[in-house]
Amino acid sequence: MAFEQDLIALLPRLRRFARGLAQNAADADDLCQAAIERALKSRAQWQPGTRLDSWMYRITRNIWIDDRRSLARRGTSVDFDSETLQIANDDHARMEASMELTDVDRAMSRLPEEQREAVMLVLVEGYGYKEAAGILDIPIGTLTSRLVRGREALVRDLGEAA
Amino acid sequence: MTIDDESIAAFVDGELDAIGTKRVEKAMADDPALTEHIARLKSLRGTLSAHFDPVLTEPVPDRLTALLANVDTSMTHRRDNKFAAPIRRFAVTQWGSMAAALALGLFVGNYALRGPQGPVSASGDTLIASGPLASALDTKLASAQGAGDDIRIGLSFRDSDGTACRSFESNAVTGIACHQDSNWQLRQTFSGKNSSQYRQASSGQLAEAVASMIDGAPLDAQAEMALRDKGWK
Repeated sequence: MAFEQDLIALLPRLRRFARGLAQNAADADDLCQAAIERALKSRAQWQPGTRLDSWMYRITRNIWIDDRRSLARRGTSVDFDSETLQIANDDHARMEASMELTDVDRAMSRLPEEQREAVMLVLVEGYGYKEAAGILDIPIGTLTSRLVRGREALVRDLGEAA
Repeated sequence: MTIDDESIAAFVDGELDAIGTKRVEKAMADDPALTEHIARLKSLRGTLSAHFDPVLTEPVPDRLTALLANVDTSMTHRRDNKFAAPIRRFAVTQWGSMAAALALGLFVGNYALRGPQGPVSASGDTLIASGPLASALDTKLASAQGAGDDIRIGLSFRDSDGTACRSFESNAVTGIACHQDSNWQLRQTFSGKNSSQYRQASSGQLAEAVASMIDGAPLDAQAEMALRDKGWK
């Protein structure tokens, strides 16, 4: 039961992470659902005493990457257009109140996956470099260069709103 | 003196050691452009947090918490879930929860005690249709049944092995049966019409189960009749 309770406690953070990867709430929650299902199936592979959150973030991110790769193979681009449609369908009042928010979604969706996940893990989820590099299974140097490029692109895209 | 981008980033993220930090601070003192650049990067973090942090306080959708409370509602959303793995064939129960599996076991047990008149019995390790369900599967045509019938046939089709299969709904159990070794083997089972979970079963799970098994299109009325007359071979 503790395993499930700990995962439930993680859900708000996971949803935030997924929202940054997927840019719309429905896809983000689908991603979370798939991640939870996989976590439940592979719970024997989690070692008690190790960080459950890192394990879950890694699962979530792997599912997302697999989906992006299979999209690329099928030749479908994750398109700016569907983001625009999604945004257009959102609450208009909320949109008008903060044009900056839609800029963030758009700018994030333009980042290549490896930069997007680095930005989310470090800048939003608050992981240190070592932990984030561990989740992504990359050297710290690789992580920092992705962070540099990701941030540069966001600052450029957001301009005044950055 | 120029500081490299990685060090600037590490400084902004609080990941730089004491010596590196001092070096950056010194450089900033003489370099307004660097100072502004660093301010921009810090502000970016605030912008991202402002954008994403509200998710933390949103109510978590039931379909996520339900997965962890041992109640399986995941199937109702599986068709729309772009990240979902494909549904496996030949799973006798598609319910995630132990309780549901136990319920089916108890249900089969009850009917077994009453003899082969119940709709479900076992042939070795396989669940098969029996009694009125088996009769309906043998003889009933989807095109010629009454709206109020206890047992209703949905679609007749062939799976990718060429086996004749039929989807059905009944009071006790809903699912897909395939004709093999003179029996109607229950390949997929869900809650029946008498169950409170019925609406979930009929709308999503059954349709998805058919979609995962079917080879080609469902049989039309004529083809169904011809197949019945051949004994479902």
